[in-house]
Amino acid sequence: MTQILFKNIDTKGLSSIGVYEKQGGYRSIKKAFDKKPEEIIEIVKASGLRGRGGAGFPAGLKWSFLAKDVFPRYLACNADESEPGTCKDRELLEKTPHLLIEGIIVTCYACRINTGYIYYRGEFQHASDLMDKAIEEAHAQGYLGKNIMGSGLDLELHTHLGAGAYICGEESALLNSLEGRRGEPRLKPPFPAVEGLYGKPTVINNVETLCVVPWIINEGAEKHAALGTEKSKGTKLVSVSGHVKKPGNYEIVMGTPTSELIFNLAGGIRNDNKLKAFIPGGSSANILPADKVDVRYDYESIAEAGSMLGSGALIVMDHTVNIVEAALRMSYFYMHESCGKCTPCREGTRWMYQLLNDIQNGKGSSKQVEKLKDICDNMSFKCFCALGDAAVAPVASSIMHFRSDYDELIKNLEGDAVSA
Amino acid sequence: MFVFTSEDENKIEKIVKKYPIKQSALLPLLTLVQRREGYISPEAMQAIGKKLDLSPGYVQSVMSFYTMYHTEPTGKYIILFCHNISCQLNGADNLFAYTGQKLGVSGGGTTEDKKFTLHKEECLAACCGAPMMRINDTFHENLTKEKIDQILDSLP
Amino acid sequence: MSENINITINDQPVSVPKGTLVVEAAKQIGIEIPVFCYHEKLGPFGCCRMCLVEVEKMPKLTTACTQTVMPDMVVKTESPKVIKAQQGVLEFTLLNHPLDCPVCDKGGECPLQNNTFKYGPGDTRMEFDRANRDKATPLSPVITIDRERCIACQRCTRYSDIIEQESALVMLNRGFNNEVGTFNNEPYDTKYSGNVIDICPVGALTNTQFRFKARTWDLDNSATLCAHCGCNCNMTLGSRTNKLMRIETRPNDLVDDGWICDKARFGYGFIESDHRIAEATNLVDGEYKVANTLETARQTAESLKKIVDEYGPESIGFIGSPFGTNEELYLYHKLFRFTLGTNNLDHKTYIDTPGLPVDHYDFLNVETANLVLLIGSDPAEELPILDLRIKKAITRKGVKLAILNDQKTELDKIADLSLMYDVGSDGIALAALANSLASELGIAMVEGETRDESLTGIAEGRMKEMAELVRTAMKVCVVYNPASLTGNSIFMLKHLLGVINKIPTMECGAIPAVPFTNSLGAMDMGILPDYYPGGISSSDSVKIDQIWGDGSSLKSKGLSALEMINKAESGELKALLIYRNNPVIDFPDRKRVESALKKLSLLVVHDMMKTETSVLATTVLPSNGPGYDEGTTTNIGGRVQYRKRGLKTNNSPDWKIISKMINSLSEKPIEYLTSFSVTEELSQTVPGYSEISKKSIKREGKNREKIESENGVVPELGKIESSGQGLKLRIAEQLFAKDKILDASSPLAHHFLPSTLCLHKKDALKLDLSNGDQAILEANGVEVKAIVEVSNRCNPGAVIVPRVSDDQGLLRLARSCSVNWVEVKKA
Repeated sequence: MTQILFKNIDTKGLSSIGVYEKQGGYRSIKKAFDKKPEEIIEIVKASGLRGRGGAGFPAGLKWSFLAKDVFPRYLACNADESEPGTCKDRELLEKTPHLLIEGIIVTCYACRINTGYIYYRGEFQHASDLMDKAIEEAHAQGYLGKNIMGSGLDLELHTHLGAGAYICGEESALLNSLEGRRGEPRLKPPFPAVEGLYGKPTVINNVETLCVVPWIINEGAEKHAALGTEKSKGTKLVSVSGHVKKPGNYEIVMGTPTSELIFNLAGGIRNDNKLKAFIPGGSSANILPADKVDVRYDYESIAEAGSMLGSGALIVMDHTVNIVEAALRMSYFYMHESCGKCTPCREGTRWMYQLLNDIQNGKGSSKQVEKLKDICDNMSFKCFCALGDAAVAPVASSIMHFRSDYDELIKNLEGDAVSA
Repeated sequence: MFVFTSEDENKIEKIVKKYPIKQSALLPLLTLVQRREGYISPEAMQAIGKKLDLSPGYVQSVMSFYTMYHTEPTGKYIILFCHNISCQLNGADNLFAYTGQKLGVSGGGTTEDKKFTLHKEECLAACCGAPMMRINDTFHENLTKEKIDQILDSLP
Repeated sequence: MSENINITINDQPVSVPKGTLVVEAAKQIGIEIPVFCYHEKLGPFGCCRMCLVEVEKMPKLTTACTQTVMPDMVVKTESPKVIKAQQGVLEFTLLNHPLDCPVCDKGGECPLQNNTFKYGPGDTRMEFDRANRDKATPLSPVITIDRERCIACQRCTRYSDIIEQESALVMLNRGFNNEVGTFNNEPYDTKYSGNVIDICPVGALTNTQFRFKARTWDLDNSATLCAHCGCNCNMTLGSRTNKLMRIETRPNDLVDDGWICDKARFGYGFIESDHRIAEATNLVDGEYKVANTLETARQTAESLKKIVDEYGPESIGFIGSPFGTNEELYLYHKLFRFTLGTNNLDHKTYIDTPGLPVDHYDFLNVETANLVLLIGSDPAEELPILDLRIKKAITRKGVKLAILNDQKTELDKIADLSLMYDVGSDGIALAALANSLASELGIAMVEGETRDESLTGIAEGRMKEMAELVRTAMKVCVVYNPASLTGNSIFMLKHLLGVINKIPTMECGAIPAVPFTNSLGAMDMGILPDYYPGGISSSDSVKIDQIWGDGSSLKSKGLSALEMINKAESGELKALLIYRNNPVIDFPDRKRVESALKKLSLLVVHDMMKTETSVLATTVLPSNGPGYDEGTTTNIGGRVQYRKRGLKTNNSPDWKIISKMINSLSEKPIEYLTSFSVTEELSQTVPGYSEISKKSIKREGKNREKIESENGVVPELGKIESSGQGLKLRIAEQLFAKDKILDASSPLAHHFLPSTLCLHKKDALKLDLSNGDQAILEANGVEVKAIVEVSNRCNPGAVIVPRVSDDQGLLRLARSCSVNWVEVKKA
């Protein structure tokens, strides 16, 4: 199977530049410099690469939105990986920092950017330290700095650490945090490509997205577009976690059936239990029932099945799981991470948690379940940013597909004998 | 009175150089103080504000937004125990309860001897190694009771 | 002309300029879209989600306060989707909001109540206990915060960040734990903190003084002006049973931009002061006997006439006030110049002349200029709302700021260039700048050496930078404080304005930023020894006779206020009428002033409060003062506005008292019905005021016509006295000084500062003084205690002393309006 990112990922010492170069690292830069920046953007567009952070927006298209003739410009790499279930970026960051640097250099060349920041979530101190070393090495080799390899590109790259806030993974909140502010999202429009970091045009991309760019330059857009499905090209790193025998990050070609991920690559359900539910794209994606497990793992198929591919975090739940308890745990997360700026999210996430808590502890009623549905509706697409919608996902989808789990808990309250 | 050491000043100079606008150095400076002191005092906030031409109110506003900054002294080792969905599915709740019991801080908190601070934490991007905890800068994955004993007992 | 965009809202068409927000477009056709976090002055924020509307072709509902109009947009504000969204948002907003309405001050003027009533769900589905937070906690001595009521709209925190530029009130924590607070729980006590009370859409931030005093619908509201500083901000005085209840903003974009400072909002307690002069008194046989006010007025006029008849008109004088209204000052002018025939009128101790050689700019020009040149002015302490306007211009309108001052001020932080001249060298510094510009233009320069750094403390290169900023600005608004200039420097300043104006393609205007309420009015009304009303020179007899009738011009030269004191001391001046002025405290050299006043055979004091001057008077007349008085005032922008009274009183208004004096000596007495009757008369004779009428100033006031200043002569460079011992004294005005207006009982008393003196490091070293030391300032045989602050607030060779209270008696150390020297030593 074609592996773009994980091909040599476990090579010993890959995080040091000597080993990385030996593996063919930094080749794409010379190739890119032989082309004009605009051409690179067209290549990435043609490759069909979509953002790997969660939104899935076409990368090349996003780059082409940069406000023309406005400088300076910035690149912010989103290494804030905080979506529950996701641990793929961390593997890339800790094992192959140079791949990210290489991807960033090509991107900055294409977009005429001279300063890049890698925004790490605060807990990634180790990965950030590794990157500082890698940046130094790249500098020494002439891959960063002034007039890189005679291309005319000046590029300085810096690491920056957050301090514990899931919302800073949202691109505009990330920019605010990078500017030394509270991590509250910004009004959009204007979009970062027009007014981003310090009010200047900014490209924001996920770690994985940028790491794919060198391969596309080396192998060509067509080869990338030949992989995957009609609307989802290339490969995807999927973090498989939960009730599987072999949890881990797996690189699959887009369109691979989810059942293959769960039962082949991840070794199947632990203790050979039955699959009950799975979340294809991190806790912000709708929970799907087991009968949908054959859905092909790509953006359009999962969307059609009623969920989303998101960050590529596959959370697997077996028959021992009480879905209400799972939803309760996830609702706590959103309540904790809500930035508090907008009223529906600030109040709604807490109210949902309170209601789910009651239901989980046998104090609920069917009226409350109906109320939960309505709260979900009042929050959906009404909040300032997508965190509100993310908070709704586990609640609304669990009620939709696993109403029986709710009814079980309510039944126990409303008089019937508790079953062992 | 909080005063930056000359070593701090060197670090700060390097940090501020990374950004075209000084304010961006706010989180790095807060982190610098947090790591050195274990918490951030009002005097430190004022010192940081002065360094970056920000009002102390603004510094406190930003500081209080992020969970990694503490206003009260913390233990030598800060244990962040993930209790989010992937870890919870793999028994994190029981292991957290065990750890709390073991350290004498059930439900979380700082031990009497100020060696450990235990907190529940949200997803730390180690879901494939669930259940897990982070102690200062180190990730400990695939935890069991035995592993927890081994890790905690070996910390100086 | 910006292109207009056509949209429809609820099937109604509306055409608005590009960039208009949907919520504003709706207002124009009378459609209300409910909001909380949106505020016209704070801009779009989009956090409360109350204003969600449906827009055709947009998949999601969008917030009307952040959405700008787009061609052919179709907006629906009452569709079922919108109604459900509104109910949902209100349910969330009210979820943990306490049911405090019966005891909440905001009731009756509460947007949350109003929006809930109009758009909210019928009842609540919240079955859990509502969150408990801090209730009724002091945020400062004058603002109470109730954190349970807060809906986290962030209006107040954005105000503190964007408008105040302080970030003193901030949002702390995250998510549901969001809470409005301050650094380390310290009081939120900026100079304009009270505005958050007006903008808070719920009862979370309330006026501590007003708490529980009255229901808002019981209040009698008077559309009036603040009477403290020269901004003349518009405000509403709310009273009940004729007692002052509270003061709020009354937005006027052309003046205050919707804000008032805390001195306006909380500094009106003087209305109920025990120290008010309630009735007229006469000194009879060593005792003060109460008398009928109007009768006393008549007697006063006759006494003055008697003295004029015996000793000549030069033997009487009038020391007026920049705190009087135009009508009061106009009538006093009439009395003294025309009825009694003297030129001895003045209202100040510094030297200033009416008229400008450039346009007279107003507040809005601060925003539309390319450069604001601030000279000798500290708006934060002198004219707070001007300070906010300058901050707005610099931080949000792309205007540059250049500062020339003898002391550091808060605005230095956002200035593009800030130069500090030595105390007392203002004339030379202004000449240096003028010459730097003049040499480029090839026009007449001020003679003498101005470039040497030793003269002003400013290096030639830096002054050139300043000149370059001015030269390339194309549109300059000069804001200067005449009261801070020493000696005759005002002439140098006006010369500088003239030079700037000659720069090709330059649009230049100036704002005379005198701190006091109606300084401009006092000048316009002719309370000056050498000028008649409207800036007509008293030596221009032709014009004077033309405007006021034959024989109106007088022969003798008039005395300034300080000269009147001199003449009183020498016995040549026999009588003085002092109106709303306190020379004993506010003039230099108190001992001399007191002895001079005591020598007068007639001293009449017409004032609002008992002062150190009024106790020396032979006759005291009561002045109603702000709150009770009515009349017009002219602010620093030349805008004439009506200051309506807020409370009723049986005492005669000042204009009646003064007109009684005039009538007693006149063959054709004029009876005025209201203050507007006086306004009408003055509009007919005071140049520049012809368009001023009750109607024309009704809504936003009206600028009076500009007064031209005498042009031409390049002034001479004044000499700096280097002969003094010690350090040069620079008195700095304080907004919250403890005086007759803000006394110990004021809710603003927590702002009072101890007596402090600010030294440059070099001088502190020489005098062996360090921070916190107790020290003494000495001059004129007088000692003033002060705590030392080593702050480089001025250049070496001077000491800056903030005027913190009347008790401090700072003016005792001064001798004149030129440079004054003091000795500083350890206590």
